[in-house]
Amino acid sequence: MSEKKDVHKHIIDQNLAAEDHAGSKSRRSRRSWRFWPALWIGKLAVLVLRLLGKKGTTFPGVVANRIDPDIIGHLGQGYPDGIVIVTGTNGKTTTANLLAKVLKTAGFKFAFNQAGANLVSGIAGALLEQARWSGSSRARLALLEVDEATVPKVCRQLAPKAAIITNFFRDQLDRYGELDTTIRMVQEALPKETLLIINADDPLVAQFGLNHHMVMYYGVERTPESRTESQETREARFCPVCGATLSYSLFHYGQLGVYHCPECDFARPQAQVLAENVHMEDGDIRFRVGVTSYSLSLEGYYNLYNALAALAVARVLGVNEREIERGLREFEAQAGRMERFNLSQGRVTLTLVKNPTGFNQVLRTVLGSDRDICLMIAINDLAADGRDISWLWDVDFELLGAEEHRIRRIVCSGLRAQDMALRLKYAGVKLEKLMLEPSLEQAMMLLQQERHAEDTVFALPTYTALFPLRELLVKQSRDAAGGAERQTLEASA
Amino acid sequence: MSERRMKINICHLYPDLLDLYGDRGNILALAARCRWRGLEAAVERTSLGDALDFRSMDILFIGGGSDREQGLLVEDLMKRREELKAAIADGLVVLAICGGYQLLGEYYQTSNGEKIPGLGILDVWTVAGDKRLIGNVAVELKPRNPVNVSDLQTLQTLVGFENHSGKTYLGKDVLPLGRILAGHGNNGEDGTEGVRWHNIFGTYLHGPLLPKNPHLADLLLELACERRGYFLPLPGLDDQLEILAHRTILERLVGTK
Repeated sequence: MSEKKDVHKHIIDQNLAAEDHAGSKSRRSRRSWRFWPALWIGKLAVLVLRLLGKKGTTFPGVVANRIDPDIIGHLGQGYPDGIVIVTGTNGKTTTANLLAKVLKTAGFKFAFNQAGANLVSGIAGALLEQARWSGSSRARLALLEVDEATVPKVCRQLAPKAAIITNFFRDQLDRYGELDTTIRMVQEALPKETLLIINADDPLVAQFGLNHHMVMYYGVERTPESRTESQETREARFCPVCGATLSYSLFHYGQLGVYHCPECDFARPQAQVLAENVHMEDGDIRFRVGVTSYSLSLEGYYNLYNALAALAVARVLGVNEREIERGLREFEAQAGRMERFNLSQGRVTLTLVKNPTGFNQVLRTVLGSDRDICLMIAINDLAADGRDISWLWDVDFELLGAEEHRIRRIVCSGLRAQDMALRLKYAGVKLEKLMLEPSLEQAMMLLQQERHAEDTVFALPTYTALFPLRELLVKQSRDAAGGAERQTLEASA
Repeated sequence: MSERRMKINICHLYPDLLDLYGDRGNILALAARCRWRGLEAAVERTSLGDALDFRSMDILFIGGGSDREQGLLVEDLMKRREELKAAIADGLVVLAICGGYQLLGEYYQTSNGEKIPGLGILDVWTVAGDKRLIGNVAVELKPRNPVNVSDLQTLQTLVGFENHSGKTYLGKDVLPLGRILAGHGNNGEDGTEGVRWHNIFGTYLHGPLLPKNPHLADLLLELACERRGYFLPLPGLDDQLEILAHRTILERLVGTK
């Protein structure tokens, strides 16, 4: 303990300073007079919108937050079992949804900011939904997905009981500045009384445990895709403590893996929740934690981490293994995350792409079978997508170039269709296999025309292209065979 | 290997440290454009502390990194400053972007007034700004600018994406790459973007820069070939897609002309 203290001294000093700062008077503050008008007007807005049949707007949260800037903290006091937050770059929404599914299975009632409303107004809105006119809450627990940049704002107002940190990757840097800044911001904001539930396999996340008292780690022993070498563009090549180059005995994906620092004692921590015997079976991910075997009907091993995080929190909240197992098993993919549509021409899998690591994972899944490949990639560069599209050059499209013979067609679409096509050209995809069609609807039509029924077909949009594309697919799959046997969610109803 | 093949040696300096915003796309573009012309491109990725022989290089690429990582390598490069200077005087082609551009200059002045010395090769200096300059950029290569326009085929502009808080100012000895049509450029004040001095091209443009600006990519290759005494001009390539991507974003930024 004392040894470690020396090694990590400056980090600890930094953190103590941060704790002083974050634990300031404003957190745990008493409700001010502003709270009541904020609550009542906010609740009224919720009621009116509900009567009008409008869902999913952040308007009540915006109004309440305008009247009482500490509304999240003031409402948060009404949850005797505490607040659980989920943050990190990738997998926030899936993790929160997995956990919500497990908690529902176990009969919990909780506040929840669904559909990625993870900024201040969305969080305030979720808490308002559960608030009584008296200011107390109908639920005992709140489960909140929180955008990384919003963590400081939330933690200034309340101390979460537990915080899940999924991973850190380069994502929409133009909005937050550099990755280091984001990590430091989150690290400084999290109060010391919060239980951190963190990814042991990501050194950028694991460093949060160095000087925190209450930490629970989750991790993966190995997956069938784990490798001893990595060619991927990745973050965190260096030890967060001493700056030496980290050594890996195994890469799971990106910088996630089994690592240690050759110069100091920083290493991948022991995971209390460790997935073993990880494999695919019948299109599902199967794994074991301790003595219990689990099944998850999601594609992509990155989703395993999301399940492990949910599992860890569920254990902390006292959910029994049987209910956790059932909740995970019965979970279905949410909108646009490896969502399958059966159309008259064959199956199309829709999944959001937003950063290099996520895209690399998708490419591996696409190349996983030995079928021919038809893709539609739609790249927009609006604010919600990230204005900077240079990250496309950090994606390993050379994986596709190497399997050129299996590519039937790639339709490039969206506002930056040309940039996407250019990237593929330099990745070694022949020009005659590329099509340019900025309109999403036309591009979808081209994809359907070009494909053969048995091909692997994926539609890969960035954020703002996802929803229009999904609407198209929902409609087409409904038309196909009278909408029979569609494997998607209730969300399309 | 009886006959010596024409070969271009490209050095990607510190890709493990300076690897932001898809900058490796510049290397991919240079290598591909050599390959397509039957030139061999040898790309060397040099890490901190590795041996560096500037004399054997044709093109040196220095990208941008996060602040912490940039500190590490100025120290390392300082030791090789004289060799680098000699190579540049001998015509070494250098593409330096963002952080790489800044560190070739005289100094970087932090927000509390401290001056961190740079390599002092370029007559430019950088001052920390209080807001980040972020967004798409279009630059007009001015007729009297140091990039020889006759080399530039049909494109007279550069397009890219900037993301920096440092503001860079040019001294009397150097000329900018061009004039800003959209975006901020060197400092957001004087309408200039980038610098050219000898065969050094410094710029804030990510994007990455070279794939969408094939004329600049080819200029770097031509300068490198010329120095080696290879035949010129380079054979033309089918750049329709490159030019389309260039024009699409250019038209969005400045409208059609």
